[in-house]
Amino acid sequence: MRNTKAVFKKQFKDTLKNPAQLIQFIIFPLIAFVMSALIVTDFEGVPDDIAEIIAASMPTINMVTMQATVFVGMGLITVIPGIISEDMEKKSLRFLMMAGVKPVSYLLGVSGVLFFVSFFTSIAFSFISEFSGLDFWIFTGAMMSGVAASIILGGMFGILAGNQQAASGLVLPIALILGFGPMIAQFNDTVANILHVSYTQQLNVIADYLTLGGGDTPLWQSFAIMWANVAVLGVLFALIYRKKGLKR
Amino acid sequence: MISISMKNAKKSFGEKEVLKDVTFETYEGEIFGLLGPSGSGKTTIINILTKQLTVDDGESYVSVNSSEIGLMLEHDGLYSRLSCLDNLIVFEDIYGISRTQTLETLDRVGLTDAKKTIVKQLSHGMRQRLVIARAVLHNPKVLFLDEPTSALDPLTARGIYKLIGDLRDRGSTIFLTTHNMEEATNLCDRVIMLHNGTIIEQGAPKDICERYNSFKTTMDLESVFVQLTGGTAQ
Repeated sequence: MRNTKAVFKKQFKDTLKNPAQLIQFIIFPLIAFVMSALIVTDFEGVPDDIAEIIAASMPTINMVTMQATVFVGMGLITVIPGIISEDMEKKSLRFLMMAGVKPVSYLLGVSGVLFFVSFFTSIAFSFISEFSGLDFWIFTGAMMSGVAASIILGGMFGILAGNQQAASGLVLPIALILGFGPMIAQFNDTVANILHVSYTQQLNVIADYLTLGGGDTPLWQSFAIMWANVAVLGVLFALIYRKKGLKR
Repeated sequence: MISISMKNAKKSFGEKEVLKDVTFETYEGEIFGLLGPSGSGKTTIINILTKQLTVDDGESYVSVNSSEIGLMLEHDGLYSRLSCLDNLIVFEDIYGISRTQTLETLDRVGLTDAKKTIVKQLSHGMRQRLVIARAVLHNPKVLFLDEPTSALDPLTARGIYKLIGDLRDRGSTIFLTTHNMEEATNLCDRVIMLHNGTIIEQGAPKDICERYNSFKTTMDLESVFVQLTGGTAQ
């Protein structure tokens, strides 16, 4: 526990001082805020019948849904392999291990920071969407389930990569699919069917349910799919970790 | 009491045989020097003793567990975005030592004024001192130092020698590699000379110099090494 706490403290300070990492937690809510503000929803002075036509023809994409999905599926997923591979590349990990830090403590410490900081990003998204009460907790629950899945997936890439360049190369295609796939799915049923089992698609479904209402998938089912993703990724992570370990 | 030992250790990387039947012992409370030119196998020995590599054949032994070892390796492994103090705080938390001890260690390596300086803004010498501070922070029983004073100015190097001497006086075993024969002569209780993965001589610097009648104005291990190897680095 002491070692996990030490790694957590180190990683928290390092994340705050690393603009490339920190920006991932700030930029997506910021974009959501700016883009939401830019969309005209006030039709004052416009005749009612015309306003109705305009409103009906506007895309039903919610900026928070879009950016929250991109944050979880794309932004966050690139951060953890970057941290692990940097620590491997610069041999910092070797010194931690020699000091008695177990790989599990290291991974928990690093993941803990990302989970913690992501919680504030999730709150920022909730604030922009003006979620409150039960909606706030449903959204936060969905976000943090997605964050957990992305951290585990990112951790796998971190273990597999070994250096920062390889980590980026491995992560990018998956991150693009997970981050932008749900957006494309809104316009294409085939893509929607394929991505139905992915956690980012279900995050998208839950966020849309809360912001736009309705939806075909019941909330419990979306959560079940997300948690199944976490479980499957957890098993895969354990297998990869057992096989490859953390290279010092 | 034996602190570190290797017995008939062999190690190859592909076709290249890096260590050929290396055998030595070091004892508690001594400063033991591993001398040899670049590529002679010094770092490989440290990597084996710190369990980052395994021997192909033979045995290696260190009497303490890894948390009682202090390390200064080829790569410094510092967190470049954190300050000097924050770098040490990571290990302060791991070892469970007090902030006072951490600040004292920073003071011992002359980095008190730079404690809030970000590591990437430090000079090479200051980085080296910080690495040594991290290595000695928990008063380790065994300290491995890989080229501890390379690229340091003479004054800073002297400070490091004093620090190493103090640790020895407290009972720590210091195992250092160097290609600086003068450093080894002045600092080490015993040395081994390594050439192409083979030990070519070992003993106290004074005894070795006497054996080869190699005194100029002071003891001169470098002349002994050149005599033994015929002046070839590899």
